[in-house]
Amino acid sequence: MSRTLRVVGAVLLLAASACAVVRPHQREHLARRSMTQDRDAGESRFRQHSAGAREGADGGTGEPGGGCGCN
Amino acid sequence: MRGLAVAIAVLAIASGATARADGEITLRGVYYKEHATRVEQPMVDGTFDAGDNATVDAHVLVDAITSASAGATADGSAFSERRWEAGLGYTRNLGAWRAGAAGRISTESDYDSWFASGRIARDLADKNTTIALGFGAGRDHITNAGAKGPFAPDISEHLVALMGTASLTQILSTNALASVTYDLGILDGYLENPYRTVITADGLVGERVPQRRTRNAVAALVRNYFPSTETTLIASYRYYRDGWGVHAHTPEVRVVQQAGDGLAFGAGFRYYRQTRASFWKPTYPSSDPAMEPFLTDDPKLSAFTGATMTMRFEVEGSVFGFSGLLGAMRGEAIVEYAVQHNRFGNAGVGHVALTVPFEY
Repeated sequence: MSRTLRVVGAVLLLAASACAVVRPHQREHLARRSMTQDRDAGESRFRQHSAGAREGADGGTGEPGGGCGCN
Repeated sequence: MRGLAVAIAVLAIASGATARADGEITLRGVYYKEHATRVEQPMVDGTFDAGDNATVDAHVLVDAITSASAGATADGSAFSERRWEAGLGYTRNLGAWRAGAAGRISTESDYDSWFASGRIARDLADKNTTIALGFGAGRDHITNAGAKGPFAPDISEHLVALMGTASLTQILSTNALASVTYDLGILDGYLENPYRTVITADGLVGERVPQRRTRNAVAALVRNYFPSTETTLIASYRYYRDGWGVHAHTPEVRVVQQAGDGLAFGAGFRYYRQTRASFWKPTYPSSDPAMEPFLTDDPKLSAFTGATMTMRFEVEGSVFGFSGLLGAMRGEAIVEYAVQHNRFGNAGVGHVALTVPFEY
């Protein structure tokens, strides 16, 4: 895990150092629905719940899963 | 339905807290079908401004599950069950900081659960970078009230869940952004399914798994918008591993194509691959704890692959000539097919949703 984290961190640092500062008036495209949340909260919640009931993996969304008798 | 009415009343009270603000309510229905299980899930989600610098979000849903799974009941018969869930969250903007708290409860005949979480986020570099940290804790109460059997008489157990999360979101250009999220989850307590049995040389016995499971997940996501074609490409990848020996890779690609004002189509492909838990076996040579401390044939803990194909369609009220809030109403339909190379088998999923914005 630590090696994975180091690789992800290095990629992010490289990516961040390569980007230009985007001013608020330049964020028209970034404000589009498809660029912010192309999935509603209810859709995301159902996906996480159903995946948690059918797959061994969980997480990576920043949101808690589980909460049901689907162990 | 009483839960839905209570939730709507709570949302209405919350919405009355300010003189004029914005909000939206989404009504969604989901249908999930695989060869032995059917799930119908209606839900209501609401988001409301609460003053100038805060939002309240809430949801309520019902899971209506019908399963013919032989492991679901003691006598192997089909069962039907309803699970109710409600959640409430509050987020406040504090300049470059945002802080929020959320809670969720879930109840069904044999499983009650609550979970509370807090989150803080900080914008940096003129809001080009956002870092966020979160922490949550919950407690579940598990019984076998649904079907007491010879392998699990009168179970009443608890499970404690702890979660920590950290994320970084970075704007890469006027058309691209990326994020990475790390989640740590610790489950401590009763992690068995009280109805699941395992084939051993000594006969059928109840499932037996470790009392603790530590889960790690790292996910990265990139979104890129192509103005010339009004296309958004979303690519993500998640790596997961836990203390039971399960490793999983989940790459996913989604495309959203704008087809004029208020009309969009989408398609997605998600691949999933996992290794088995270190103690998983299809059958066990012994049920003796000294030889086999843990026993499970849970398909979720076996090695398998899967793939999910998604098609979606979104339309806004403006396409039909409405204006104002009616024009901003959004309808959505999603059709999905999941290939699961395990005992669960393939599944089909359908969503329909209507989002209604309003002012108050």
